[in-house]
Amino acid sequence: MSALRNVAIVGFAQLPVVGRDAHRMSTEMLYPVVREALKQVGVERDAIDYQVSASADYMDGRPFGFVAALDVMGSWPPRQDLHLEMDGSFATYYAWLRMQTGEVDTAIVCGHGKTSEGEPERVLNLQLDPYYQAPLGLTPTATAALQASAYQARTGATDADFAAVAARNRTAGARNPDNQVREAATADGLRHTSWAVEPLRRGYLPPVGESATCLVLAAAGRAETLCDKPVWIHGVDHRTEMQSIGARDLSRSPGAALAAQKAYAMAGLGSARDVDLVELLATNPAQELIVCEALGLDGHASKPVINPSGGALCGDPVMSTGLIRLGEVFRQLSGRAADRAVPGARRAIAHAAQGHCLQQNIVWVLGSERRWT
Amino acid sequence: MDEPPKEPVKYIDAEVRLPYHYVAGDYRARYLRALKDKKILGSKCSRTGKVFVMPVVASPESFAPCDELVEISHRGTVTTFCVVNIPVIGRTLEIPYVAASVALDGADISIFALVQECKAEDVRMGMRVEAVWKPDGERHGDHEDIQYFRPTGEPDAPLDSFIHRL
Repeated sequence: MSALRNVAIVGFAQLPVVGRDAHRMSTEMLYPVVREALKQVGVERDAIDYQVSASADYMDGRPFGFVAALDVMGSWPPRQDLHLEMDGSFATYYAWLRMQTGEVDTAIVCGHGKTSEGEPERVLNLQLDPYYQAPLGLTPTATAALQASAYQARTGATDADFAAVAARNRTAGARNPDNQVREAATADGLRHTSWAVEPLRRGYLPPVGESATCLVLAAAGRAETLCDKPVWIHGVDHRTEMQSIGARDLSRSPGAALAAQKAYAMAGLGSARDVDLVELLATNPAQELIVCEALGLDGHASKPVINPSGGALCGDPVMSTGLIRLGEVFRQLSGRAADRAVPGARRAIAHAAQGHCLQQNIVWVLGSERRWT
Repeated sequence: MDEPPKEPVKYIDAEVRLPYHYVAGDYRARYLRALKDKKILGSKCSRTGKVFVMPVVASPESFAPCDELVEISHRGTVTTFCVVNIPVIGRTLEIPYVAASVALDGADISIFALVQECKAEDVRMGMRVEAVWKPDGERHGDHEDIQYFRPTGEPDAPLDSFIHRL
């Protein structure tokens, strides 16, 4: 394909994920994170051309809460701005797209939300169609269990397989100081936790979590001046599947598969096996197995390493969880991943999903070298 | 199973209940607590010195932290206002009443307030007003602690003194 503009991640900051920050509101959580991200790249706010925020007012129940966030992202003099009612990984796509037009050279992307202030299980029910499915009271955990059952029916995956996936994430996650769940766990231990909704056990699901996140993007020419090791975007694609969960084969994710195929093509990546690590957004082990299949990954192979951060099972601050996957890839490929560093990592995939049963998927391919010359 | 309905279904009730348990926020918790002691707190921008009420963590204008909480006056100036002639469900106020923006002395942004103890037609831009608090023992640290603002009788403030604090 023809050459696109090289754009890189040059900074990332986040608050450690917590169950509930009992003292700070969303803006008070986000402000220090934006400042920290700008400090990393050594510029003031006026050096940033564009900004995108990712949040959902339904999560924290504050009408126009996303407008309040502008105050702590820098809003004067007026700047081009966009708000997305989706995870920050999708918001990053909009910033990347804007940079492709050549109109802006730098951008920040913020994810925020006080997930603990409402009841996410009730709020996320509203993503379902309002006539047939939402009134049933289906929660995201219930629909995830339907999906896990469908996956088991098709593949024969067992409870032990789910436990093994969860335990691998939990073991890796113990090394990540930003995680909410930092106690390592064994597959056997997790298999003895109670059912949340069968076939998903409590030990296979993340607790309610909240955080604030900020990613800094810059185009070639600027990126090298802002960061010693910019992490370049090689390819990206996102796809949305039908809203009605009854109209889809829940045991698969054709959306993730198509997004992966397109993103790999843009990146010139022959196979997912050619990257060193993958950060997936899967909020339960069945989802992770479905996404691995869609991305062409063998969960049992030693390469690429899947979720060296511990993944969403160790912290799921809705609206930031996917942005953290991009942030983790940035940390890994720029030598900032401390104890959890994958040695010699040069290329990686960052995935995010949102909606019931993986309705929306985005796939990024990133590398330590520029994609286009 | 029941027979299918003879008439087509035209609508369904789909009631949504979403409970929330808010965190007031660090600055707002301090602001609300101070109201109980008849004090109004604002936050001061570390770069420009401008004072925001209610207090905010950062200046939307300068992007600098507003990390100093300062007490501001109970007195201020009506910067703009609206005479309300339509009853609002759940409001017991007698109409007409005046909803105004009041720039408190020492603050660089106005707050939303009721103006009472005068005729609606006497309210004007620049009118000087002061807070009327609930009595001691009846304040709970919420916005109702200030019942309303009333005229002080001072000469009107000149437009220049509040044009940038509407």
